[in-house]
Amino acid sequence: MKELQDLAAKLLAEKTVGLVIGWEQGPRGARPAFVADPKDAGRLIFDNRCVHNLAAYLSPRRPHLRGFGRIAVAVKGCDVRAVAGLVRESQLKREDVVLLGVRCGGVHDEPTDAGPLTAENLADRCVGCEVREPPRCDHVLGELPPAPPSRDGRRAGRIAELDALDHAARFAFWRQELSRCVRCNACRQVCPLCTCERCLADKTDPPWIESSPHTRANFAWHATRALHLAGRCVDCGECERACPAGIPLNLIGRKVAAVVERRFGYRTTDDPQVPAPIGAWKPDDGQEFIR
Amino acid sequence: MSEATTSTETTAGTFEPRIQAFVCNWCTYTGADLAGTSRIPMAPNVRIIRLPCTGRIDTLFILKAFERGADGVIVSGCHPNDCHYAAGNFHARRRFAVFRELIDFLGLDPDRITFSWVSASEGKKWSEIVNDTTERIRRMGPFSAYRGLAGRTP
Amino acid sequence: MSGEGKKPPMDTDGHRYGKGGEEEKPQMDTDEHRLGEGGGATTRFLGRGDLEKLVAELLGAGTRVVAPVDAGKGETEYRVVGQFTDAKLGAALPRRSLKEFFLPPTEELFRWRRDGAGLELQEAPASFPATVILGAFPCDAAAVQTLDKVMGWDYRDDPWFGRREATTIVALACNGQDGSCFCTAVGLGPDAARGSDLLLTAVRDGYEVQVLTAKGAALVGRHAARFAEACDEDPARNVRREACTRVSSNLQATPEKIRGWLQANFEHPIWKGIALRCHGCGACAAVCPTCHCFDIVDEPEGLAEGARRRNWDTCQTPVFTLHASGHNPRADQNARIRQRLNHKFRIYQERFGELLCTGCGRCARACPGGMDLPELLGALEKLAVSAPVPVPASAPVPAPAGGAFIPPPGGAR
Repeated sequence: MKELQDLAAKLLAEKTVGLVIGWEQGPRGARPAFVADPKDAGRLIFDNRCVHNLAAYLSPRRPHLRGFGRIAVAVKGCDVRAVAGLVRESQLKREDVVLLGVRCGGVHDEPTDAGPLTAENLADRCVGCEVREPPRCDHVLGELPPAPPSRDGRRAGRIAELDALDHAARFAFWRQELSRCVRCNACRQVCPLCTCERCLADKTDPPWIESSPHTRANFAWHATRALHLAGRCVDCGECERACPAGIPLNLIGRKVAAVVERRFGYRTTDDPQVPAPIGAWKPDDGQEFIR
Repeated sequence: MSEATTSTETTAGTFEPRIQAFVCNWCTYTGADLAGTSRIPMAPNVRIIRLPCTGRIDTLFILKAFERGADGVIVSGCHPNDCHYAAGNFHARRRFAVFRELIDFLGLDPDRITFSWVSASEGKKWSEIVNDTTERIRRMGPFSAYRGLAGRTP
Repeated sequence: MSGEGKKPPMDTDGHRYGKGGEEEKPQMDTDEHRLGEGGGATTRFLGRGDLEKLVAELLGAGTRVVAPVDAGKGETEYRVVGQFTDAKLGAALPRRSLKEFFLPPTEELFRWRRDGAGLELQEAPASFPATVILGAFPCDAAAVQTLDKVMGWDYRDDPWFGRREATTIVALACNGQDGSCFCTAVGLGPDAARGSDLLLTAVRDGYEVQVLTAKGAALVGRHAARFAEACDEDPARNVRREACTRVSSNLQATPEKIRGWLQANFEHPIWKGIALRCHGCGACAAVCPTCHCFDIVDEPEGLAEGARRRNWDTCQTPVFTLHASGHNPRADQNARIRQRLNHKFRIYQERFGELLCTGCGRCARACPGGMDLPELLGALEKLAVSAPVPVPASAPVPAPAGGAFIPPPGGAR
């Protein structure tokens, strides 16, 4: 932690960067920290409550963070995939950001959760994660932690259960879940890959997605969002964490990722040179569903 | 066409499906045209929207059609390697593949949608797509489950 | 339907609440926020078994009963219940407030149908189901009364008041949730009676019942057999006092000073760094009991008909203020958070004499970026106390400050 604080202070003092984005202790657990003065670098922390994917703050949609010049951002191994996504899609120049990689052995579900990680309280996306050492960073900090506790993925199990149902039962499940969506757009806003300057859902003429939060519009919104994130979603789980209605959005994201992997042999990667699967094609892509 | 354009329930109480087709200009539209000029009998339930290429068919068009009252949708374009723009249908194929499995997961039966490749010379195939889809959707019934999701609040 | 009416003049931030004359102001209530301190309410006793029977009687009579129910992960939500055992009274503060039972997230105002050249309009139903909200949290009940002011201001909102009149609110005094509660700092308390028709306080074997309104008395009257005449008030009073002390320790603030400071410091440098961690989502507004902005849209259904709906909206998104020209008077998230704080702690107060915040703390709990309203209020309180400003009706706006970065207030409060 001292290593992170000292490096942040140094980068700010020598004006390599104008802002360091990391984590700090807030009134309710860990939260994003914004440090512009080297004297404040002591606020920075990293522990297993630092669930936030800070790459979201690098999106071009945040004009109030421009103007600081170059930004240094603390990233876990998994967060690097989101940075790579931004670079891949020309939303961020790699040289405009300094990546402070933190070695990570898994995190909790919520930044307010505390205590050592167990198989029970580990975030589902960390199950089976093998990225201790953040790749492609400018600095890599912290001690090498042990691998996260092992257990079966809960979401994978839930998806398999849903897959086993018939259409009517799955429809009933999602109708109930999506009826609670009030279209606050938290899922979109915290997503590091939702970078559109003007979202389709904000277009009113024509209203491609009805703006009313009734269940029909909510189906259209969440289906469209999932499709736009196909092959781009980095599974940081921020959408589900941010959802004030508690909708299991990760299930949709994971399902689509599994489809993309099975059909196109693609997994989101930290290499910005690898093209995303939607936007690319192969002549022999499966077309068993086309007459 | 008159009854089917305004209502999914005919006055006789039998269900006439309303089917929206999104087709590419170069192959399927020409194929459908051929079917018409060849006087091949076809169900009158399908309305066609012509687009330059299947690559232009946003999957949201399909949801929009269901939202506004379609009971079924046909999406059709050029066979692989026949695309007027070289690769539009290859791009579309990937999107449709993911979309189909996605809505399946959300509980919307993907059998509501027919995806097909119909070339300019396949008037016969187009008529089969139209007739088969109409019959299938007739069996499935109106898609009010989806469009009715925007109910009144208590 | 559009009900434009007369537009009061804009103020510096373009909001529509004019500083109208006295005659424009609605009648203020003289409600006491803390009962048990000289309030003249009648008290009754309701045993646990009688509460269960009461709910069965209500449901049997066709009354819709809403109560907090289990929503998984230790959380609750207000939902319509089918039986008493579904209700989870006095547990966690529900994820969302009560406002959706009066102002639904989406609501049809009318439907239209075109028939050739003709146009047929069908109004939304104007009758609403009789409802009892059981186990409402006092912060949520208070919010509903606060919103009566704006809903009955220049235009009487029929669906709002229709649902209000059909609903009886039975609140349950709260024990305080966690460190994000600050109802006592905004003039309420975990036992605030404001907005409730009956206020229950859990005591041994049952509840002390304070009858606060005619509607509450009518409910008691209809089910008189369930309510015992007398109640020993001391235990309940102690329970409430302890809860007040607990919540008070979270945050001490003087809203009147904060209002004066906000009035005088629209261009203060603190605003330039206020929202760095804010993602600009509307989660805070969605869970807020008092955020009430809505958008009205026409949505076609099929080919010849459609519905006009009104939907929750929030000042935290750029499109809320985006002009057709492309100009946006609130340029960034900092400006939007400033608007949120100003509306809640200055503008509504100036217009309606009340704070647009009941201290429930949901915004802090829901925020994915760690924005924390009680923390911000604490910081504003410090500024207001250290640089007190007189509170004139309209203080001059100071010249814009330089572009210095002020780090957001950090540390524990």
